[in-house]
Amino acid sequence: MDISEYINKVKSNEIDIIEHTKKVIQECRKINKEYNYFNVISEELALEQAKELKKRIKKKDTKGNLFGVHVSVKDCVCVKDVESRAGSKILFGYRPVFDATVIQKAKEQGAIIIGKTSQDAFGYGSFNVNVGLDFKIPKNPFDKERATGGSSGGAAGITQKLDLPHIAISESTGGSIAAPASYCGVIGLCPTYGRVSRYGLMDYANSLDKIGVMSKNIEDCAVLLHVIAGHDNKDSTSLEEPVENYPEFVNKKSRLKIGIIKESLAKGIDPEVKDSVLNTIKKLHDNGIKTQEVSLPLVFKYGVQTYYLISLTETSTNLAKFCGMRYGYEEKLEGNFNEYFSKIRSNAFNREAKRRIILGTFARMAGFRDAYYSKAMKVRTLMIQEYKKLFKKFDLLVCPTMPNVAPKFYEIDKLTPMQNFMMDIMTAGPNLAGFPHLSMPCGPEDNLPVGIMFTADHLEEKKLIQIAGIIEKLK
Amino acid sequence: MKFTKDIIIGLEIHVELNTNTKLFCSCPTKGSEKPNSRVCEICLGHPGSKPVVNKKAIEYALKLALALNCKISQEIVFSRKSYFYPDMSKNYQITQYEVPLGKNGKINLKDSSIGITRVHIEEDPASLIHPKGISSSKFVLVDYNRSGNPLCEIVTEPEIDSPKEAREFMKQLITILQYLRIFVPGQNIIKADVNISIKESGYARAEIKNVSGFKEIERALEYEIERQKQLIHGNKKLKQETRAWLPEKGITQLLRTKETEEDYGYIIDPDLVPFEINNELINKLKKELPELPEQKVKKYTEKYKIAKDDAFVISSELKLTELFENIIKKIDPILASKWIRRELIRVLNYNKIELSDFKINETHFIDLLKSIQDKKITEKTAQGLLEKLIEKDFDVNAFVKKENLLIISDSNIIEKYCKEAISENQKVVDDYKKGNENSINFLVGQVMRKSKGKTDAREVKELLKRLIK
Repeated sequence: MDISEYINKVKSNEIDIIEHTKKVIQECRKINKEYNYFNVISEELALEQAKELKKRIKKKDTKGNLFGVHVSVKDCVCVKDVESRAGSKILFGYRPVFDATVIQKAKEQGAIIIGKTSQDAFGYGSFNVNVGLDFKIPKNPFDKERATGGSSGGAAGITQKLDLPHIAISESTGGSIAAPASYCGVIGLCPTYGRVSRYGLMDYANSLDKIGVMSKNIEDCAVLLHVIAGHDNKDSTSLEEPVENYPEFVNKKSRLKIGIIKESLAKGIDPEVKDSVLNTIKKLHDNGIKTQEVSLPLVFKYGVQTYYLISLTETSTNLAKFCGMRYGYEEKLEGNFNEYFSKIRSNAFNREAKRRIILGTFARMAGFRDAYYSKAMKVRTLMIQEYKKLFKKFDLLVCPTMPNVAPKFYEIDKLTPMQNFMMDIMTAGPNLAGFPHLSMPCGPEDNLPVGIMFTADHLEEKKLIQIAGIIEKLK
Repeated sequence: MKFTKDIIIGLEIHVELNTNTKLFCSCPTKGSEKPNSRVCEICLGHPGSKPVVNKKAIEYALKLALALNCKISQEIVFSRKSYFYPDMSKNYQITQYEVPLGKNGKINLKDSSIGITRVHIEEDPASLIHPKGISSSKFVLVDYNRSGNPLCEIVTEPEIDSPKEAREFMKQLITILQYLRIFVPGQNIIKADVNISIKESGYARAEIKNVSGFKEIERALEYEIERQKQLIHGNKKLKQETRAWLPEKGITQLLRTKETEEDYGYIIDPDLVPFEINNELINKLKKELPELPEQKVKKYTEKYKIAKDDAFVISSELKLTELFENIIKKIDPILASKWIRRELIRVLNYNKIELSDFKINETHFIDLLKSIQDKKITEKTAQGLLEKLIEKDFDVNAFVKKENLLIISDSNIIEKYCKEAISENQKVVDDYKKGNENSINFLVGQVMRKSKGKTDAREVKELLKRLIK
């Protein structure tokens, strides 16, 4: 059932929204027991919202582009009164006093929030194995021995596993939407930096964070993106350009020109990933879409390093606020302030958070700042220019989302931190440069999912939606 | 920098700008004093909240930078200054580091000029309350009402030579702030961190934190210079250190010795996009700038021919300036300046009334001065009336009429009083005749008393001289 059909059935009361919401919650609970996709299932809020919609249905007041649609929310996006922890123990018990702008917008359009999805704590990871202390690692919907990808692993997992209409609000800093979408075989769209308000998003790296969408099909994705995109006075970095009507582009024909990123298909890529991606490109080619090989030397040489320098530097300041004082995890008040906050941070941050705080703090100390952080900012500008040159000739760039299929947990354990960071080789570039990108499944259905990723110029989300629409119809 | 002077003083001043809302959120800067009642997720630093800059505060700070003759930067960029402290809601402060909004300015004092290194804008931290005093309290309470209030930081060059000059500087800065209407004394906080070193110690620098008020700055500096000198005389070596000023005890106290400069790991705040300062904005603000004290002195002395000292005193107080400029629409400026500079200030000092608290009905003040100007009442009568007027407002003209205070213009009556005074004080008259010039003043006093001050003293004196001859 597609989303518009579902919404119509809710509005006409053919689907009883209260009963259906109960069913969704029950199903989520069942899945969660096995797969750990939720940090919180917000049953109370969901039922309250469902009852509210029910009242409106009776009054024939059923306006809303998401009327009755169940939406899950990555844990780092604030939902008023629902425990929101960004996957970290240090935010234990924290219930935001306000809704993120995206939540407010979704609620206004009649969305029902069902819970907070699992993530690497603060988004620090590519596999969702870096969950916070006392949190459970989500498991791949196709093989419980494998990772979902991260950091939005819970969002990707539940989007794949839940067989009822549902869309996920998720978030990417360096690939956290594309990576899990790839491993879990769903669509993940990360918009242009600034297209969707970050107000209410718990910061990982402010100049990189983007709220986006995960869904089973491109129409759902376009509908939700259309609701949450747009300028927000509360976020100084949000863009003022008007929002296009994304759902219109799902079935829109046009002549797209695609550049195939040469470096992304060089050595180090799993052959099955390469085959699936090239196979899809060939099909597009056969359908009259022009393709040509292109090169992004700077992005592939320095993208990951630059991404980590900037993101860790910023994040080390963002995480300073967590000190067990105003909200979140607390312990008995003992010692002086320095002793107390050090204890809190020692006991409630996981290993990866500590690693990133230390690295990021180092990179911004006097004497190192110019060599690392300031230089990284300059390299980022050069990378944007490298992309922009290609976007003069091409509508989209294509590459695999991840160099592999979802790895097994024991394989991940063997990776060094540096190998871990290198998993972001495909996704770091567009994330760093703020370009919208989309990952969608492209492999044979009976195998583990493979993701193909398209990147568009700033504010060209519509082209991503178009290409996804075309690929969906190829199947 | 190589120093040669005996005393080197530099100031770092924090002044709270008088905006309605905080620097990065819409919480009011004034209102309920109940702790933590004027707060939101932004000024409490809740995860997910984001700052949005208050353009009014930027305009205020720019006006100040312009008034201090600063070079204005082309864009506003905010930085994060990271350090852990319980009064910091985010454990970093949003401030300006790499690019302050103004630099290389100066303030002209009466006889000197002090360079301004930089002017920048930043958010105020919360206030800490130690329920049992700072040293004995086992815990501290935090009130975030102040958290996020807009502050302007003004850093001077180390060019101040004496505690007196530091006081003059602060006084002049406060006056400029008032002129700009971006600061209300008594309502907005102004505090200075004072750096002081003396030649004898080889310029080992002490920093005195959080001294408020220009009088306190002078006191603190006087004490600190004396302390440093005594240590040197006692053959002790001075260390670079941070001290606190205890105004009740009139002493400074060691807070910590400074071995290294702290590293705040500054980065540009990525939540706040750089904000361009275009010429249009600068021109608009320049147009809005009022005449500043320096320009007032020039105008008063050149256009109105007022004594420089009077012009300086009047222009150094916004209230006096406003009063002066209003009354000279009807009153001779020289007369007005004298009465404000001398009589009004005398009465205020005598009654221990602070300028910030004093009120006067301008119409009645003008009536009073007009009566002097038109020689309807004597200066003596006017002084008495002014004293009353400061206490409580009344209709001066009606009162003069009712109490019959008009100057006695009938020369027969004056002559009658004079003759009486002469005949009643023959001994004094003799003294005068013997050459004791001053003794005539006694007779003048007698006439004044008889006429209840309603005669012109100079006129009486001349008449007495003639009558005695």
